[in-house]
Amino acid sequence: MRVLVLAATLAALSAGAALAAGALEAVPEAPAGSTEVKIAKMKFATPEVRIKAGSAVTWTNTEALPHNVHFKPGGSVDKELEGPMLRSNQTYSVKFNTPGTYDYICTPHPFMKGKVVVE
Amino acid sequence: MTHAYAKLRHAFRYGSTAIGAATLAATLAAGSVVAAEQGAAAAKQAAADLGAGKADDPMVLKAPAPNARRVYVYDPKHFAAISQSFIIDGDAARVVGMADGGFLSNTVVASDGSFFGHANTVFSRIARGKRTDYVELLDARTAEPIADIELPNAPRFLVGTYPWMTALTPNNKTLLFYQFSPQPAVGVVDLAGKKFDRMIEVPDCYHIFPSSNDTFFMHCRDGSLLKVSMGADGKSQTKRTEIFHKENEYLINHPAYSPKNGRLVWPTYTGKIFQVDLSSQEAKFLPAIEAFTDAEKKEGWAPGGWQQVAYHRESDRIFLLGDQRAASKHKAPSRFLFVIDAKTGKRISKLELRHEIDSVGVSQDAKPQLYALSTGAKTLFIFDPETGKEVSSVNQLGAGPQVITTSDM
Repeated sequence: MRVLVLAATLAALSAGAALAAGALEAVPEAPAGSTEVKIAKMKFATPEVRIKAGSAVTWTNTEALPHNVHFKPGGSVDKELEGPMLRSNQTYSVKFNTPGTYDYICTPHPFMKGKVVVE
Repeated sequence: MTHAYAKLRHAFRYGSTAIGAATLAATLAAGSVVAAEQGAAAAKQAAADLGAGKADDPMVLKAPAPNARRVYVYDPKHFAAISQSFIIDGDAARVVGMADGGFLSNTVVASDGSFFGHANTVFSRIARGKRTDYVELLDARTAEPIADIELPNAPRFLVGTYPWMTALTPNNKTLLFYQFSPQPAVGVVDLAGKKFDRMIEVPDCYHIFPSSNDTFFMHCRDGSLLKVSMGADGKSQTKRTEIFHKENEYLINHPAYSPKNGRLVWPTYTGKIFQVDLSSQEAKFLPAIEAFTDAEKKEGWAPGGWQQVAYHRESDRIFLLGDQRAASKHKAPSRFLFVIDAKTGKRISKLELRHEIDSVGVSQDAKPQLYALSTGAKTLFIFDPETGKEVSSVNQLGAGPQVITTSDM
């Protein structure tokens, strides 16, 4: 019985942790197996990527002009996530915890659009 | 105190009010020769009234009925939180009213001159706090508000004032404004119903040129135009034209557009002028014009300023500000005006304006006035475009006036 209670508490904690992290979670380093999206010539080179829930996407800016990744509230995005401006060869990684379709833009270049489909 | 003395005192007191009003009128347009003459005439009239024992009757004045020579000069005050519009009678070269604006307002004027207005932005604590975007319409004679329509989610594009980022449809019943972020869109404001209608999502295209009451065109990043048909059911359709300019041909942010004949006049940094006829609700690209010869280009001649081009519909003439300048100095003012036949592309005249001019406008009557605005001198110079003669001027127009708006009545 005690074991069962502990398991339930762990499950609750785990759910709480996932909730705290939210559907989108910026992570400091590119996790292993992260899906790569390059930014070049004012475009997200792979504008649509499909990943499994719990995995991550890593964006790399390959040009001198700064770009970022910006998820605005709406659709699957419940809380805004505005990534930092990336200079040349800088990267930014986001872990996707919940299935859904996540649209994003580059803040100063809103015509740059991308999408992450999380299954 | 005798009765006669009391009467005299009474007249004197009100007489001084009349002189005060005259002084105020002179101050509003002080400095220029015309203003000095206006001030002297007002003082003379006030003195005559006083001498005749005429009592002063202070009242709130109305501007004269708007005509083709009504000019609106907008002063964004170098990105200040609060701005101003000056309402000017071009014939009298006189400020006949003013209107306050918020942050980087966009001015619109009804096609019959009956009202003007702004798409505005204000904040609850001057330049911070809760942001409110709204459209206000003002009566052209009283400058009293006749509509105040809030725009949800602060959608205005805050940018140095580009006149064609906000536009009225020809019937003056709809105002369209541009949203840049988070995605390109055009907001539709129902002026007749006095309510915000909807946002139309568009591709990466900029500026709004209404060609009919339910159609407008935009200019896209790829060098094409976009036709947007606003469906009565709220569903819009978009269609791109061919790409009409090369990627290294930089079209300026202040093209001229005549909603009355659908002519879009769009210069580049080098003085190549693209013209598009939108009157049929389809884009017909006219042959491009070169404002400068190759020899002139070698000497550094190029367009420059803010509103660098104006178009006179009846005479089919283009007025382009130009000067000798270094590359990348396209926002510096110009001292010359090039008058070009829009049909043939031939230069009609080159006028020396003798001032550092940032913006140019033209009245749309048969014998038009040319308006040349100096942001640095904060002065509107009025010229006869036929002779190139400066006929009058209005100074003290705020801190950094940039935009001229007239109505093609």
